[in-house]
Amino acid sequence: MQSRLTSRLTATVQRQGVGARGIAVGLALALLMAACATPVPPAPRRIPAPAVGEVSLIRSPIEPAQHQLLDIGVVIFHNLPDQFTLQNSTELNAGAFAEIRQNETQYLPYVLRNTLIDSNHWGAVRVLPEPDPSVDLVITGAIVESDGLALEIEIRAFDSTGLEWINKTYADITQSDDFPDSSRFTASNRFDPVNFVDPFQDLYDQINNDLLSMRDSLSEQELINLRRVSQMVYATELSPESFAHTLKEGPGGLLTVSSLPADDDPMMRRVGDMQLRHHTFIDTVDQYYQSLFDEMQPVYVTWRHYSRDQSLENQSAERQIYEGGVYGNAGNFLTLSQRYDRYRWAKIYEFEFAELASGFNNEIAPAILELNRNVHGLDGTMADQYAQWRKILRALFALEVETSAGEN
Amino acid sequence: MPLSGLILSALLTTPALAMDELPVLNLDNPLRMDFSGSWEKDFRRSDNWEDELNRIFRLRQEAANRDRSTPYSRRANQGPAVTLGNLRLNRGRGRGANIVDLARLAEYISRQSIVTIRQNREEVRIERDGDADLVCGLSDAPMTPYTGRYGAELCGWERQQLVFEITLPDDLMIIHRFSVAADARSLRMVTSVISKGTNSFTLITVYNRYDAPADEFDCVQTLSRGRVCSQGSLQD
Repeated sequence: MQSRLTSRLTATVQRQGVGARGIAVGLALALLMAACATPVPPAPRRIPAPAVGEVSLIRSPIEPAQHQLLDIGVVIFHNLPDQFTLQNSTELNAGAFAEIRQNETQYLPYVLRNTLIDSNHWGAVRVLPEPDPSVDLVITGAIVESDGLALEIEIRAFDSTGLEWINKTYADITQSDDFPDSSRFTASNRFDPVNFVDPFQDLYDQINNDLLSMRDSLSEQELINLRRVSQMVYATELSPESFAHTLKEGPGGLLTVSSLPADDDPMMRRVGDMQLRHHTFIDTVDQYYQSLFDEMQPVYVTWRHYSRDQSLENQSAERQIYEGGVYGNAGNFLTLSQRYDRYRWAKIYEFEFAELASGFNNEIAPAILELNRNVHGLDGTMADQYAQWRKILRALFALEVETSAGEN
Repeated sequence: MPLSGLILSALLTTPALAMDELPVLNLDNPLRMDFSGSWEKDFRRSDNWEDELNRIFRLRQEAANRDRSTPYSRRANQGPAVTLGNLRLNRGRGRGANIVDLARLAEYISRQSIVTIRQNREEVRIERDGDADLVCGLSDAPMTPYTGRYGAELCGWERQQLVFEITLPDDLMIIHRFSVAADARSLRMVTSVISKGTNSFTLITVYNRYDAPADEFDCVQTLSRGRVCSQGSLQD
């Protein structure tokens, strides 16, 4: 069966004329031609969310009170499948850029995690493959746009009672001095992770400050209750039949503790044991994300630097075409060859940029593989392993309870 | 503590069955002629743009002579060209570039004497010195391998011919049509340049296969270290 293009191509340009060609031009090509022939105004940079501007991270000089030390789980981000993402991709190169975006979903949460830890306001902060019932606060994110020039992320944060802390889109734009002078790291110009500041650090600082503002708006008793709810949510996750009755929905659908088992309750002691093991597990998961982050960071900095240059170049070229002066109207050889050369170089640069994207993916592939590789007893990706682990803990808890009941 | 240790200490589970990873035949992609290889221009069998231009002029001249000898021909009644300096006043409006400029452009864009083609089960990539690669998939569906600020490219297959259509501003179109001989020893590239859908010029370039030295290195592109090569393939 012939495709539309194939049948259109059948009407070939003959050596002695182009009579057949007039019939051959299909709708798709006409659209392409129109797009190329008529310069359109360059699209403004899509930053609907106001850029956060310059932000200072609010740090705590002293250890916060125990009730303020909330455990946070930052879930790896996901991508918004909209038309604004992957702006550089063509049909051929889409895969390389999509892969970068996929890797960013695991990298960017770690920058947020480091920022939260750096602020010294929180308890344990970990990056996790999915929302975790054992933490007090869960943060999720969706990447709206990400390149070397702009970052835009939708952030949501919920505590274990179901209270929404943040539901906001954060955006930031880089300046040239946000990047190191030379991002070509060599043996004599090594990447310095300790002193490196992420080009979009203001964005992460703002998220921390907003979370802090929300936490400070809660009373001490509310924070204590929140931690109790977290504990019972985790217990219910392990054994709904034993602990579901301890939670009830209050006003606004928020969870509250209706009855609290005694501190020396044997079931709660087992829950505590399980939680300890679970935290050891999610600490290990977090370490895997850290390894990926450490491996990826210097390469990603280089990539973003290239990406910023490319974005600025694209904007400049679009402006130049729109403002005129690129094409003469004459149909002479010089004009024709200039048209071809501009197309030729633009395509060469774009393919080289796509090759850099592939180079980035090739370079961090071992780290991604390490993150997702199979480990003894569990199979699949990190997310799969995490889900399996939670099932195992539930099964183990049931087993311990049965054994204990049998002994009694 | 490593994750594996944690898992083992927590519970012993049965490892999933390992599956043999056999190559899967991709039935979505139809069989195509093998374009891959190194090709050098056969100047004897390729068009010379000036000869081709002269041939076209000669044909046009003959056609014009025939028109003039026909009493009611439209062209015969047009009268001679009226010129003022280098302006031709009675020439039709909105016409494309003249055929000499198109011929020079066709020669300019098909000037490479060496072409390297790589082909796998997914795509065919035509590499030309100093020019962007032409890349197309092998499936029947047409592809848009490139769309940029200065032009757009469309590719597809017409039976066993590989066709690229490049559309540039001001209604300038370039069509490359590649075909390989049945004995796989020669490659034919037909390049047509069309301006505003009216004037066109077509140039045929023929390439012969030659044996380029085999790649000694397996290379992979990286971002921070550039192209990293190893001699893996030599040892195979």
